[in-house]
Amino acid sequence: MNKQHGEIIIDGYDMAKKPKKAKKLIGYMPEGVPLYTDLTVKEFVTYMAEIKQVEKKERKEKVEKIIEQTGLKEVEKKLIKNLSRGYKQRVSMAGALVGEPKILILDEPTVGLDPKQITEIRNLIKELGKTHTVILSSHILSEVSQICNKVIIINKGKIVAVDTPENLENKVNNNNNVYVTVEDPENKMEKMQEKIQDIQKIELVQENEDGTKQYAIQAKGEVDLRKTIFAEFAKENITIFEMKKADTTLEDAFMKLIEGGEK
Amino acid sequence: MKAILKKELKSYFLSPVGYVVMGIFLLCFSVFFYLTVLTSGSVDLGGLYYYTALYGLIIIVPILTMRMFAEERKNGTEQLLLTSPISMFKVVLGKLMAALCVIAITLVISFLFYFIVTFFGEPNLGSVLVAMLGFILISIAALSVGMFASSLTENQIIAGIITVAFLIISLFLTDISSIFTGFTLINFYTSFAQGVISIENVISLVLFAMLFISLTIIVMQRRKMVK
Repeated sequence: MNKQHGEIIIDGYDMAKKPKKAKKLIGYMPEGVPLYTDLTVKEFVTYMAEIKQVEKKERKEKVEKIIEQTGLKEVEKKLIKNLSRGYKQRVSMAGALVGEPKILILDEPTVGLDPKQITEIRNLIKELGKTHTVILSSHILSEVSQICNKVIIINKGKIVAVDTPENLENKVNNNNNVYVTVEDPENKMEKMQEKIQDIQKIELVQENEDGTKQYAIQAKGEVDLRKTIFAEFAKENITIFEMKKADTTLEDAFMKLIEGGEK
Repeated sequence: MKAILKKELKSYFLSPVGYVVMGIFLLCFSVFFYLTVLTSGSVDLGGLYYYTALYGLIIIVPILTMRMFAEERKNGTEQLLLTSPISMFKVVLGKLMAALCVIAITLVISFLFYFIVTFFGEPNLGSVLVAMLGFILISIAALSVGMFASSLTENQIIAGIITVAFLIISLFLTDISSIFTGFTLINFYTSFAQGVISIENVISLVLFAMLFISLTIIVMQRRKMVK
């Protein structure tokens, strides 16, 4: 928890000067869910409450509440070592939650879970986000764009970007690409670029087995081409099977930022 | 500290470790009871505690201490301790007390030997109590060495071996040079076994324990920085 440079200030408490007060405000869920596997779920959460110095009077009640909140009620008497990965993850989160920290730090909370468990944990995080500040560290960017309202991208120890996921996506999304899958028996696609002036480039992406072809069409500037494409293609006897706007994901934004940083 | 103590005690007795330690411990007592009391026909129990402290602790202490911090580090649960507001001093002390509890429980059971002897003669209760007090002190000192070894590595076996090595080598160190007298724990125990509380020995053992407890705390504090 110590630093190499700078200061860590949590809610006004300097980590170096008042570590106890500062640490009380943090709930940390480490990567790889380290747990005392010899204990039962309830024993573990109680233990965490004790070392986080929750008042003795309130301890029992709070432990109950957190077990309830994280959906561990039915397994509270089981030994942690006998639980599934998904449950362990929740136990770890319960351990972080106990003591009502203002800030929750979750390190890779959904790694190694099945899709159902992932959705459950994500919903839990969203729920917690309403009442806590949640700092989520994750390599799964679709998850980040789903849950978070602010993204910090760090590359080799340097902050590359701080923004909302939407803004980050928009930053990269400067061209309006459209993907179309067409049946084009007369091979007119090449000429379409001359016909529709807003098209910058037409590129063949792939030829499907049923004879249709997928093209990527790049627009000049910020125009939505879809309407024009639909009308013009029909005139030329090109049948559109599928048309979609290419949306940039956080992944694209991430790649671009990281690469940009390295150049 | 109570939380740590409770949890550690629980894990000693939820796993076989606690029972194994008590078993070996009582076996040591029995063997030395036979050798020092029964064969010589004396009612003096000092030798019983002396030899158990000399040989028993070499086996028992590493078993109790090797997992203390090494296991936490290996499993990553160390992070839970480091990020919680509890002070490292309390963690270290809690763990030490838990291990001491296991020894203390066995010491209470060793009263059995006192009662056996009362059938045949009149052993001195006072000197037995002094021997036990000394036993607690020497145990704290030996446990703190083991704990320190455990804080150095994430490998329990290595932690155990360092502890055994220290305890065995310290027995011979005085033969090399009198400078090492302070590291041969058993020297401080001799007077207790004879039924004498020597302030000097009490202070020596306490200082010895404090040294290694502090070293453990320093090592664990440094762990935070390395992270």
